Amino acid sequence: MSTAIETQSLYYRPGKGFELGDLSISVPEGSVYGFLGPNGSGKTTTIKLLLGLLRPQRGSITVLGREVPRRVAEVLAETGYVPEAPHLYRSLQVAQAIDYHCGFYEHWDAELAERLRERFYLPPRQRVSSLSKGETGKLMMLLALAQRPRLLVLDEPTDGLDPVVRRDILDALNDAVKRGDATVFMSSHLVHEIELICDWIAVMDRGTLVVELPMTDFRNEIKVLHLRGVPPEPRDPPFSVLRRDGDTDGEEHGAVRWTVRGWRPGMESYFDGTDATVTEIADVDLENGFVELLRSFRRGDV
Amino acid sequence: MQPIGPMFKRILFTQWLWARVGLLPAALIGFAVPVLSVQPFNDPELSGAWVSFLLNQLDEWSPAYPILAAAMGLLLGLTAWSADHRVRHVYALSLPLPRWQFTLIRLGAGLLLLAVPVVTVWLGALVASAAAVVPMTLQTYPNALAGRFLIASVMSFAVFFAIASGTSRTAGMLLGVVAVVVVAQLFLQLFGVGVDFIGPIVDAFTSWPGPLEVFGGRWLLIDF
Repeated sequence: MSTAIETQSLYYRPGKGFELGDLSISVPEGSVYGFLGPNGSGKTTTIKLLLGLLRPQRGSITVLGREVPRRVAEVLAETGYVPEAPHLYRSLQVAQAIDYHCGFYEHWDAELAERLRERFYLPPRQRVSSLSKGETGKLMMLLALAQRPRLLVLDEPTDGLDPVVRRDILDALNDAVKRGDATVFMSSHLVHEIELICDWIAVMDRGTLVVELPMTDFRNEIKVLHLRGVPPEPRDPPFSVLRRDGDTDGEEHGAVRWTVRGWRPGMESYFDGTDATVTEIADVDLENGFVELLRSFRRGDV
Repeated sequence: MQPIGPMFKRILFTQWLWARVGLLPAALIGFAVPVLSVQPFNDPELSGAWVSFLLNQLDEWSPAYPILAAAMGLLLGLTAWSADHRVRHVYALSLPLPRWQFTLIRLGAGLLLLAVPVVTVWLGALVASAAAVVPMTLQTYPNALAGRFLIASVMSFAVFFAIASGTSRTAGMLLGVVAVVVVAQLFLQLFGVGVDFIGPIVDAFTSWPGPLEVFGGRWLLIDF
């Protein structure tokens, strides 16, 4: 499997208080990769490093087969980027901003740009400075998509937008994903959004990668076990216990829930010979799984 | 990779948009100054005393040229980068060309726009030369005046472009150094120490072969 983005032992420390420590991620080509993490976890810093906007102090970055920052211009020629904060020239009109942008990209799709402009209701004569936050987000997405990029890097593209605009942007992104011509690397702290479209996820916290895995593995491996009886203190279980809830006072008929990671079919046998029985194995939605992963990471369990 | 042509065209267009408010009036002024300055020259038979008087009158227009050149450099230098500063250069840095190339294109676009006032000064000087009735002892120098205006404009643009391309921290450091030098000189004067280091610095910049020498002296369209 070829990779669109690969970092190895990436280290960056902008100053006191935060550092991105030994980050190694691998984004498969053609995937829709969700980069999750709470605010301040290092998502934007990582993206800026990937696109050469910051220089790493250690480690290596390869994007679309090219070393960054050495060959970043070639990478950027094939990358559509939507930053967290608006980055377009505010004095330009919408049509001028589109025309300006298209001058830099060889594979610019003018037809797609016009279609998206109409779909997003962006008046061509309106100045970027007078666009709403949602309209600015749509314009940035339009510019990124009309480049026909091999890689789309989206930094919280729908953060702070109303649901209608968010849906417009995600629909446009979904269309691009369906065409299958780009790898998407999308950071967000909106877990539901990631769950909708991503097939890979990585979770960051405090500058460290907590987990990176395909979405199917995430869904299959993280489960809630409903236990009845007296469960054992988890000793060398074949899975990680992220969280224990419910009645844990040792009552014989108490119901207990364990949120576990690394679950595989057949692991129920772990409870054989104990007083506990597994009554249900339930899926966890991404948000709960994400929260439990972060909590156990912060406790030092992951 | 995209060829340079389309990129240059777009960058030139944006710099034109940002500078045109100042550039168009400056172009008009650049045309008007030489034309207006030669109005008193309407008699070919003037005596030496009158010639000196007229040249002095003409000299009163002299400061208009270096001031206009400096203003053009300032305008085009600052507007070349102000939009990028507002978005912390994220847009420029995310475009698919190396930073040095982007900077060179911005520089080239600014120089091209600088041609607008230079050409109007030259045209104004040509029209003025044709219209003025110049005493036999004098000559007109429209090309030399326009050439000097070009050099002064380019010099001013280069300085302000370089300053504006840096971060506000760099600009602050530069101003800080200047302030320290000035304050140090004031203290030395206050305590009666007869050391003048600002004078030689200013001289080094404003006398030949200093880079600002072109701004000084007389800027005369008509001379001996």
